[in-house]
Amino acid sequence: MEGMLISTQQALHMLLTGDSELWSIVMLSFSVSFKAIILTTPPAMVVAYSLANGNFPGNKIVLAVFNSLLSVPTVVIGLLLYVLLTRQGPFGDLRLLFTQTAMVIGQMMLCFPILVALGYAAINAADRRVKETSITLGAPWWFTMLTVLYEVRFGLLAAVLTGFGRIISEVGISMMVGGNILGYTRNITTAIALETSKGEFAQGIALGIVLLLLAFMLTAFLTYVQGKQEITA
Amino acid sequence: MSEPLLLFRGIEKSFAGNQILKNVNLSIYPGKCILLSGKNGSGKSTLLKIIAGLETPSKAEIEFSGKSHSWKSVIRSIRKNIIYLHQQPYLLSGTVVSNVAYGLRFTHLNRTQRSDSLKEALEWAGLADVANKQAKTLSGGVQQRVAFTRAWILKPKVLLLDEPMANMDYESRMQACDLLKRMKSEGMSIVVTGHDADIFDGLTDKHFHLTEGKLES
Repeated sequence: MEGMLISTQQALHMLLTGDSELWSIVMLSFSVSFKAIILTTPPAMVVAYSLANGNFPGNKIVLAVFNSLLSVPTVVIGLLLYVLLTRQGPFGDLRLLFTQTAMVIGQMMLCFPILVALGYAAINAADRRVKETSITLGAPWWFTMLTVLYEVRFGLLAAVLTGFGRIISEVGISMMVGGNILGYTRNITTAIALETSKGEFAQGIALGIVLLLLAFMLTAFLTYVQGKQEITA
Repeated sequence: MSEPLLLFRGIEKSFAGNQILKNVNLSIYPGKCILLSGKNGSGKSTLLKIIAGLETPSKAEIEFSGKSHSWKSVIRSIRKNIIYLHQQPYLLSGTVVSNVAYGLRFTHLNRTQRSDSLKEALEWAGLADVANKQAKTLSGGVQQRVAFTRAWILKPKVLLLDEPMANMDYESRMQACDLLKRMKSEGMSIVVTGHDADIFDGLTDKHFHLTEGKLES
């Protein structure tokens, strides 16, 4: 118990004094996950909109596949990507294994089904009149899509924040395709895993605090946004 | 009477094996107003949405310029001239101005023409005072006027109104009726649904009743 207290004290000290190694790991985590969420959101929203509004054959099957992908373990995605990017793999020539790009791709694969499934739920709940109003006023299909997405923006924002929370806290993909290289691919979760295995708890606790603070901030922001939605509805 | 602007022939629509519309024929004449009445669930809204291209019929043909076409083949091109207004209009997030201007960006008007058109429309409907207010915060009557103006500014040939006076107080009804009369006097064809013909007194030229999926005059 005493050791735990000492480690926590050291963790707080590292956080408050701006420990450069710790904060570079935090920044790397945010950089990778921001890129992944920004690159994934537009195509995921188009797919979600198409699923919510399209009557193409197999629509429900595709949706069921995306819902199933929500529960795929991150290590499985990491393994799949590893096999694809390894020297002997089909994309080995790209030399992406153990790079931030590989981590971004892996996190995109993880959050894509989340954004599609949650985006679909938000778009499907949209008032039918939004689409009809847009069409009858002469909007082309893509502008109607943008209008519907804008009208359900609070629900979509919740989906994006949930996706971001999921990818910044994942460890399997980052460990397998990032390789946990200090200063290059070591992020919050892989650093926590490494430091804990070494018995060095201080940095792990400090990074854990950052993740917890992030979770609280995302939840608080979501609550605020949902309150705003109720006011404007 | 002159040639009809659009003639919808043999409209049929079924939902889950239940036939809502049975061989409905409807002629829309330029500058004339048709009132469609019928019980709740009789298919009035469905009929308007089929005309507007928002609902797909089981079967329908459209005749214009002396030629008959299948609904599917021409609806995309003719719906540019048709605007449908919901019973409870949906105003998009934003101000009255942004709502009224919504459809203008899809026209061939340039920026100056759009701005002039917008000013004219706000004046026309008496909305200049609330132009910069959030549309969703306005009363039901004013929201309906915003919806009318949003349609009027695009100068459609046909305006389809689904029970526009429902849930309106007397004053709002009078204002809405006045706007509709002005639209009609400008040559717009109007098809309106409602239960009470008296509300549309002085506006309608023809009255049809929809019963058991069939249109009766």
